Amino acid sequence: MIALVRSELYRVVTIRSSLFSLVVLGGLGLLIGWFNMDAWELLAGIGAFGLGVMQVAQHHQHRTAVLLHLARPRRLTVLAGQLVTTVLVAVGFAVLSGVSVLGRGEVTQFRDTLTVVPLMAVFGAANAAVLRRPTWVFLGWTGWFLFVEGLLGRLTAPLPFSAFLAAGAGDRQSLLVLACWTGLAVVGAVVAVRRDLTGD
Amino acid sequence: MAGMIEAIALSKTYGRVRAVDDVTFTAAPGRVTGFLGLNGSGKTTTLRMLLGLTRPTSGRALVNRRPFADLPDPLRQVGAVLEQGISHPGQTGRAHLAAQAILAGAGRARVDHLLRYVGLGHAADQRTGGYSLGMRQRLAVATALLGDPAVLILDEPANGLDPEGMAWLRELLREHARKGGTVLISSHLLAELAQLIDDVVVIADGRVRWVSPLAELYGTTARRLRVRGRDPRRLWSAFERAGARVSADGQALAVVGLSPEDAGEIAFGVQVPVYELTVDTPNLEQIFLDLAGAS
Repeated sequence: MIALVRSELYRVVTIRSSLFSLVVLGGLGLLIGWFNMDAWELLAGIGAFGLGVMQVAQHHQHRTAVLLHLARPRRLTVLAGQLVTTVLVAVGFAVLSGVSVLGRGEVTQFRDTLTVVPLMAVFGAANAAVLRRPTWVFLGWTGWFLFVEGLLGRLTAPLPFSAFLAAGAGDRQSLLVLACWTGLAVVGAVVAVRRDLTGD
Repeated sequence: MAGMIEAIALSKTYGRVRAVDDVTFTAAPGRVTGFLGLNGSGKTTTLRMLLGLTRPTSGRALVNRRPFADLPDPLRQVGAVLEQGISHPGQTGRAHLAAQAILAGAGRARVDHLLRYVGLGHAADQRTGGYSLGMRQRLAVATALLGDPAVLILDEPANGLDPEGMAWLRELLREHARKGGTVLISSHLLAELAQLIDDVVVIADGRVRWVSPLAELYGTTARRLRVRGRDPRRLWSAFERAGARVSADGQALAVVGLSPEDAGEIAFGVQVPVYELTVDTPNLEQIFLDLAGAS
């Protein structure tokens, strides 16, 4: 498991697009955090979700999931390793990009956001393990967020992204709701990870 | 036996399509086994079942007497080349190998050695997205060799390799088998593997059609003579009287069932001058196509 996490972290820093995304998002977070804490919280949470999706979906997109499963044939071990890596990367990103928030003395909001970030990262990674294609995950959840959570739920229904927004603002009830959605996504990933890895 | 690959009554069904049907064969240590079939015959699905990437509908796929998923430290036991070189296009060849080396428990020195060994030393720091197909195949071979495994499983590795690359791969695999390793290599071209393999498994429409040493496959075709003489009609009837099967082959006769010595003596006996008498070597590709096309 440790070797798997090390290998995944090494990939993150040696794949140019991954590193570039992290640097750009981190820089943007630093800048935004200085002016608007709520915007930083949103960036950190959605960024964590996106990083989680890409961490897993990239392996399927470029077929490197095959190499991963040849090295670690136990599918659940691979999934666990990817979730741990995702959490490490997302928390690292949130901490570094949130330095400006801390600089303003907003410790509570920083802490609340750091509580939510790992859940969002795991939620994203688990969704990607189920759907395997990043476009489907991003488009699917964007549509869901706009129409179901936004228009129908008015961002107050106990749904994943609404819960994330409220939990980031310190609402414990919403944190629990988000944790439940994340748990559900992980259960889906545990079932889905056993599927065959299809060819080209 | 260490390094043994076994497919035992292996089947895979997708909906109503039976992609692999009751496939049984073994690949033994110290030998190179060719797994041959036309495109869509079930080769890749079978190899993916052996490697634990696809779950069989029924049957067992074993390496070293165990399912792949139960192998401890699998990269040190099995190396695989699949899908014409898998790598992230934004990662350099060196970084790709280094990431896999962490999983295989291999060091940086092994990565550098393998990059030179497969002839990618000069391109190690280029992103793999810029690699040619041949370079990607070489990187895939290096990835497979990271854990120094006894078993190598390669799916159509010759795709994209130029003749020099193919010669290099042939030598590498022969050397691996000479050292006692097991090689299972798939292809849709028998001629490509004829100089490399010891044993042959032919698959068509998901079913195994032939399993034997390669020499036995050669032996399935009776030796054919090509005879051209001044009077083909007299030669034809003389050969038939001697029990041969004769057919026309352009200006010459195709004769099956006689040795060259017998054919020469018979022609001499009926006083027909012979202008040409040659032994046709068995057309291995045709044998393969006959087997692979049989359904």
